[in-house]
Amino acid sequence: MLNIVRRQLERNWIFLLVVMLVLGGFEFLICAMVASVDVEGAFGQMTRFAPPFVRAMIEQNLMGGTPAGVLAFGWNHPVVHALLSAVAITLGARAIAGEVENGAIELTLAQPVSRARYFTAHLLFGASALSGVLATGLLGTAIGQQVFSLDAFGWKLALLFVNALLLQLAIYALTLLASALGREAGRVALAGVLVAVLSFLINAVATLWSKAEFAKPYSLHAYFDPRQLLVSGDLAPSSIAILAAVTAIATVAAFVRFSRRDLP
Amino acid sequence: MSALDIRGLRKDFGGVSALRGVTFSVEPGEVFGYLGPNGAGKTTTLRIILGLVRPTAGSASLFGIDSTVPASRADIGFLPGDLRLYGDMTAAATLDFFARFRPAKPPTLRTMLASALNLDAATLARRVKFLSHGTRQKLGLIVAMQHDPALVLLDEPTNGLDPLVQHAFRGLVADFAARGRSVLFSSHVLSEVEAVCKRVAILRQGEIVALETIEHLREKVVRKLTVRFHGEVPSGIGSVPGVARSEVRGGEAALWVQGDLNPVLRAIASANVEDVVFPEPQLEDIFMTYYEPGRRDA
Repeated sequence: MLNIVRRQLERNWIFLLVVMLVLGGFEFLICAMVASVDVEGAFGQMTRFAPPFVRAMIEQNLMGGTPAGVLAFGWNHPVVHALLSAVAITLGARAIAGEVENGAIELTLAQPVSRARYFTAHLLFGASALSGVLATGLLGTAIGQQVFSLDAFGWKLALLFVNALLLQLAIYALTLLASALGREAGRVALAGVLVAVLSFLINAVATLWSKAEFAKPYSLHAYFDPRQLLVSGDLAPSSIAILAAVTAIATVAAFVRFSRRDLP
Repeated sequence: MSALDIRGLRKDFGGVSALRGVTFSVEPGEVFGYLGPNGAGKTTTLRIILGLVRPTAGSASLFGIDSTVPASRADIGFLPGDLRLYGDMTAAATLDFFARFRPAKPPTLRTMLASALNLDAATLARRVKFLSHGTRQKLGLIVAMQHDPALVLLDEPTNGLDPLVQHAFRGLVADFAARGRSVLFSSHVLSEVEAVCKRVAILRQGEIVALETIEHLREKVVRKLTVRFHGEVPSGIGSVPGVARSEVRGGEAALWVQGDLNPVLRAIASANVEDVVFPEPQLEDIFMTYYEPGRRDA
């Protein structure tokens, strides 16, 4: 199993390193931005002349433009979601469909390795890679707060780690399910991107537009609230349960399909 | 105990039957040919043996262990017909990667195989994506055999190898068998199977149409002999012993010959012969032997 994990690391380390650096750097820059401008004053000026929906958005997403609110928004920024989902989707798509597409799975599974071990190795690698990338982002926030003398989030960052990891694991598991069903990594990745983008958009629209609020529970991103986590320190058990359930169900379904399909 | 035992293997893909009741076994120390045209079901059989494809019915076992159990593959080697390796790995890293799946079976034959197949250290240091098709095939052969497996499954192994390396490869297979190892040699080229195998199963459209020793096969096969004469074709040439069928057009006779050639050679030697064409037997000749009405049990 370690052989397969090692192989995945050899194959993906450059991609993962780039994502880690960009994410860590992005969170660090958010800290720099918060420290270098009068955030509350700036947002106060903006909200005075902004239309109602922009005011609502600032209130909802940025905690009225407080430094903590802006830092929390730094974890709900589309760039951050795009980076994390890129890792989840790429690794999920490559795990099975990618290996089927490049044909290497035939010789690998002709070795004395069970499909369960093969699958678990990819799962382990995916979860570890996502954890590593997330940890680097959190390190960016923690170092930024230290360097720019901002109030530290402390243990709340651990809650953010758990919540963000579960969200990305859910996206990874859904992509893995598509991967177990498919033969082409590109198509599988497209399905994963569609899931992630739709989920993000549904949550964004439902948050800003009351008439669309009914759709919010159907978005995975609705169960990830960095503002609530980092400012209040609240992590809703229902959010954890739902994201964990989606991850577990999609993973089991992916394994059942993978263990029964003909290869390559 | 057989190295490989296949019983009543059937595989349906949707409404299409790829295999229909395939049964054969490979004994320890045997080089067994698995012969059939493209699409006959050879690769499907190998994939079932390796647990990659699930049979609709029947079973396959390796050294008495059901082939769906990963442990059954502990002491085997495999070369796929369409070999695909990780292009970003070097050839040496590829060999290490596959060797690590069997910590109890170190790659003791690697150096010898690399030398026999002309793979030098510089080539082994190159990334797989930069290697030629033939070199990749050599690499695949080393992956399959480096741990000295008790059974090696080779799907079209000489594909892309130059004649010299093919010759070296045959020597390796013979040496392998001499040390009590078994080989399942799948191919659509009759001559290469003939050169290395003792026994052969012939597959056509998912069915085994013959399971014979090579000697028996040679005796049974009907081969086409074309003779062009100066002048008339000798009368009665179609009824010479060993001639199964004949066609005469002008000064040319096409004779389908089975078994001993001597009576036919004597018959044509008495005439004035201009040219003789007697090609290597092809798979189609063999299929004709087994499919011609009344000859199926010949």
